[in-house]
Amino acid sequence: MTALATTGAPLSVSSLSVRLGDSRVLREVTLSVAPGEFLAVAGPNGAGKTTLIRALLGLVPRESGEVQLLGASVDSLSISERARRVSWMPQEEPPGDNVSLLDYVMYGRYPHLPPFTGEGAGERRIAKAALDEVGLGDRWHSGAWEISGGERQRLRLARVLAQDTPSLLLDEPTAHLDVAHQLEVLERVRGRCHREGRAAVAALHDLNLAARFADRIAVLQHGRLVAQGPARAVLSPSLLQEVWGVVADLREDPRSGVPYLIPRLPTEVARVQSPAPGLRVHVVAGGGSGTPILRQLWEDGFTVTCGVVALFDSDHTTAEELGIPVATEVPFAPLSPASRAEERRLLDQADRIVVAPFPVGPGNLANLEDLIPYAARVPILLVGEGDWSRRDFTGGAAPGLWSQLVAGGARVVRTPAELVDALRSEPRESVPPGSGA
Amino acid sequence: MAAGRTIGPDESSSDRSLDATFVRRRRLRWFALLGLAILGLALVLFSPLIGPVPIPAGVVEAILLHETFQGLLGGSACGAYPTSVRQCTIWAEIVWQARMPAIILALATGAALGLSGGSLQGVFRNPLADPYLLGLSSGAAMGASILFVFQVDLASAYLVLPVFAFLGGLIPGAVVYLAAGRTRAVETLVLTGVALAALFSAFLATFLLINPLGDLQVSFWLLGGMTGATWSRAGIVVGALLIAGAVVVLRARQLNILQLGPDVAYSLGVDGRRVARQLVLTTTLLTATAVAFTGVIGFVGLVSPHIVRRLGGPDYRSVLPLSAAMGAVFLAAAWDVAQVVIPSVVLPVGIPTSFVGAPFFVYLLYRRRSLTGGPRV
Repeated sequence: MTALATTGAPLSVSSLSVRLGDSRVLREVTLSVAPGEFLAVAGPNGAGKTTLIRALLGLVPRESGEVQLLGASVDSLSISERARRVSWMPQEEPPGDNVSLLDYVMYGRYPHLPPFTGEGAGERRIAKAALDEVGLGDRWHSGAWEISGGERQRLRLARVLAQDTPSLLLDEPTAHLDVAHQLEVLERVRGRCHREGRAAVAALHDLNLAARFADRIAVLQHGRLVAQGPARAVLSPSLLQEVWGVVADLREDPRSGVPYLIPRLPTEVARVQSPAPGLRVHVVAGGGSGTPILRQLWEDGFTVTCGVVALFDSDHTTAEELGIPVATEVPFAPLSPASRAEERRLLDQADRIVVAPFPVGPGNLANLEDLIPYAARVPILLVGEGDWSRRDFTGGAAPGLWSQLVAGGARVVRTPAELVDALRSEPRESVPPGSGA
Repeated sequence: MAAGRTIGPDESSSDRSLDATFVRRRRLRWFALLGLAILGLALVLFSPLIGPVPIPAGVVEAILLHETFQGLLGGSACGAYPTSVRQCTIWAEIVWQARMPAIILALATGAALGLSGGSLQGVFRNPLADPYLLGLSSGAAMGASILFVFQVDLASAYLVLPVFAFLGGLIPGAVVYLAAGRTRAVETLVLTGVALAALFSAFLATFLLINPLGDLQVSFWLLGGMTGATWSRAGIVVGALLIAGAVVVLRARQLNILQLGPDVAYSLGVDGRRVARQLVLTTTLLTATAVAFTGVIGFVGLVSPHIVRRLGGPDYRSVLPLSAAMGAVFLAAAWDVAQVVIPSVVLPVGIPTSFVGAPFFVYLLYRRRSLTGGPRV
């Protein structure tokens, strides 16, 4: 490593274009990776991630552009000099012979050995240390055919680590790995960059992993570099929509501050954007009690409204997420005339009223009081056991209202699923009085 | 580069066991080589007993001893055995000028075919590769047989014969090399080779039959034999074996890495295409030299590497030398069998090798993957 002329970036490409057959796989890509930097390359299938990595190795013919390894053009380097500057973990690789894991990892030492010499004890130590790093150290004598797909992938990483190059190229390094090993492998690679000043380029499909481990993310689409920068700057719902055609919500990991995306199914998205017409159900909730009910009703295609719940209450968050109209109150404040008016507006439109088992205090007792006039007009369903010992903070006023509702014809159901059955089975206009309880 | 790594305190014991395993492995490979060498020596000592002319065993060994240490021992070539000088001279002539060169030629040819098979299996990453199945042997035999069309006197042509054989072998060599670049299907490459072999055998038979004396030679060229072996012919094959052996064995590590495919090999500093060109050329030369004097002998190059993988593991640094040793022993033994199996008839040596090799080939076709590996010792 000392002999390397380190005049330039470990890896850089300038206006690189690659044509494979009739299709242009890379168009005018310019990119450079600094020492100590971990760059993730993302993009849909066929965007050119693998081709970019292979071009960095000098494995694909270029139509135009330049690839440099540590400031030297890749074409000017001998094949063994290249192998000392950059190592590669391909996506797939032929099974090879059934050699021991240690022998396999020692292949990584080949470019460092003088011609026609065998590996000595020193090479074995390095290979063993690399196997230890990927957690296969105690199985060094096993055969390469006798390990699982995920272990094989870690084995290939060990070979790359043993090759001990200033730059590492990893094509889908986490593809066959379980969650624990995904984190471990990427942590290793990041450690190699941050601690030892190496540069790494990894094609990653999982944007959340990329955001978490990479210093920078480069996004390819149809062979073009469409975005690059730190995860915070690059990851956005609009990018995901444009490049992958997927709608996603962007969140932030409260612990690390790293952004992450929650992709949504097209059906989910469509429902949020335009609620399905159907039975209109208003859910009176609060304190998180309405969340499972709202989800269940929403999923089953009811038109749902909700109220009155406090801002930042998880029922409120859920309603917002699902695109459900909601009557809102300021936290820790008694229900105001404004919010109660909004609630009444929603109640007036409802075909059914559902009362979630929410804790009732003086502040939100009005939620129950306001229902009394509706008992005669709209079928009401009460969810819960009627056990008030843990959710009555009104000194008996709430259970009183509850009983009044039951007496007025409200029906009691135990679970959200039972609620849906009840909503479905009842004919729309005729609820037999006293059918509940 | 290793400076960043520290050797922990409890690492030393695991390192010791690591090193011990590698020492044990190397020792095992030397034992395998030694065992094969002993077998080879036994064949050298006892094969000269075999032949159409019955010669007492004591006399054969005495002649071997006498000729090996010429002049040093003095006395008669036949030792203490009571016989006439004329009889003794004839026996000495048979043992030393016919049977010994034949057995040495068999050993050298077997080694050449075993080594060629091992290196072709590595180059093409194909456990079914073999100079015979890839058509190299038939191509070489056809090349040599062109000389018969021009009725060249074979006795004086033995130096030209390998050259023509090499030129003939280059055709299937090039075809198979190009075919391997286009397909990764193991069977396709071998079927290509088998088709080439059939084609060249047809040419070979035609060329031989143009020559009025040639019809006697067809079976020799198509199925191989050691008849007509001389010291100079055996010497040429031994020489080619030493040169080609050095070229091939020095690329064993590159062959190991090549098993990961040309792209990965490239990323590790191995130019797969260059290694493949060099080795295909070298094995063609080696196979052609042997074929020029022994005809086409099948399956030695197929069987030997698979057996030695079981003995010494898949590392080409052991597969290549052990394949040569195994091939030598295999072919020399086959030559003995060819001479004794039917009284007073010498079978072409390709017959016993095919009896062993052809079923083995079928077995490999169906159990391929599990066989290339062998134990990792």
